[in-house]
Amino acid sequence: MPRRGILIGFSAIVGLLTILGLIVGSLGQGIFGDIGLPDWLTVPEPHITVPADVVFHIFGLPITNSIIAAWITVVFLVVLSFVFTRRMKIVPGRLQAAFEFLLGWLYDLCCSVAGEKDGRRFFPIVTTIFLFVGFNAWLGLIPGYGSITIETHEHAVHLIRSANTDINTPLAIAIVAVFFIQFFGLRTLGRHYMVKFVNMGGFFHGLGQVLRGKIGAGISALVAGVIEAFVGFIELVLQFIPIISFTFRLFGNMTAGEILLLVVAFLIPFIMAVPFYGLELLIGFIQAIIFGGLTLVFLVLAVASHDEAQEH
Amino acid sequence: MEAILELMGKLGINGSVFLTQVATFFILLGLLYLFAYKPVMRMLDERSQRIKESMEQTEYIKEQAAHAEEEVKKKIEDASKEGQEVIARAVRTGEEVRQQAQQEARQEAESLINRARSEIQRERDDAIDELRTEFADLTIQAAEKVIDRSLDKEAHRQLIEKTLEESATLKKG
Repeated sequence: MPRRGILIGFSAIVGLLTILGLIVGSLGQGIFGDIGLPDWLTVPEPHITVPADVVFHIFGLPITNSIIAAWITVVFLVVLSFVFTRRMKIVPGRLQAAFEFLLGWLYDLCCSVAGEKDGRRFFPIVTTIFLFVGFNAWLGLIPGYGSITIETHEHAVHLIRSANTDINTPLAIAIVAVFFIQFFGLRTLGRHYMVKFVNMGGFFHGLGQVLRGKIGAGISALVAGVIEAFVGFIELVLQFIPIISFTFRLFGNMTAGEILLLVVAFLIPFIMAVPFYGLELLIGFIQAIIFGGLTLVFLVLAVASHDEAQEH
Repeated sequence: MEAILELMGKLGINGSVFLTQVATFFILLGLLYLFAYKPVMRMLDERSQRIKESMEQTEYIKEQAAHAEEEVKKKIEDASKEGQEVIARAVRTGEEVRQQAQQEARQEAESLINRARSEIQRERDDAIDELRTEFADLTIQAAEKVIDRSLDKEAHRQLIEKTLEESATLKKG
């Protein structure tokens, strides 16, 4: 049976590579000692740098390897969408249906969380965050990321590095997300949005009562007003906490994933890294959906009016 | 403050790289809006619109079909009712015609019988008259022969007539 033959052959190759990985890898060398392996079979010790390396400069702007990776993601996504939407048909072909399924799924998610009207407004920003984060992570798993080195005038650096592992990328996405959250909140609620944070009405009301001589009622209103103002201040600070949580969640997960892959490939090369690649695929998806989903939730909270929020 | 800046530097936070990534994100947002979201949304909207329309149309057609079916049923019912009426009318007419014919036949027969009866009556009357005349003549002749003389014919006739009349009256009475 040819299928069985293929299966046996495949298993043999996998088994051989696993054994070879055990011998050749750092783990094997630690156990068996140096057994005189050829140079091209040994895996160099991974060199991990947290800041991204600058590859070249454009007009004095440093272009790091993570920026190049982000651009690759942009080009990839734009070309993909262009190809898929170039000839849209009302009865979709297979590719169009797949693309529409992905976007339609995100669209339905937006609508189910934010409602039909707001879901439509939030869809582009949430989807862009999801796609950018997700494809930064997934494309980062392609061979070549973090392995091709280029000589700069200082030292040899990696040409491409998964964009999410440079803290500037998660920070940029987080700040853009918070910017859109504030933008939609302000645009939808206008003055009432600010009242959430700068809530001095109760305080001045109490002050007025004290001045008019109603000391007892005035003081209690004054205390309530101070508490309200303080709560508003906390609300204001809370608006900017997501920048930090968004940034470090994504940066931490992605950098840890990258390091995990490097270490596994260093200890036991070849086959043992494969399950971890699968894990990283899943983590990339999870991080993308967390980033997009949380942005969506914060957007919904921002456009919910104060009165409505109290009712719930 | 300096410690924070140093930490940021160690983490690799870099103003220009950060701004470049922000710009990259906005470029991606714009391009995807142009090439992905707008056409896909339009297509999804159009498709849902189409589906809605076609479902409405289906509903309309279904309704129309039900309507037509009902109409046809009604028409068939009407036709059958009409047919039954026609049949009933025909039966009634036939009955009438039959009765009329019967009546006519009966009338004809009656009139025939009547005519025959009156004819017979007349014939009988004639026969009686004739018989009477003859009988009177015979009687006169016989009497002439008996008394051998010519009787006053006229007077005798009247006498006989009278007698016969009486007898006829008697007989009839």
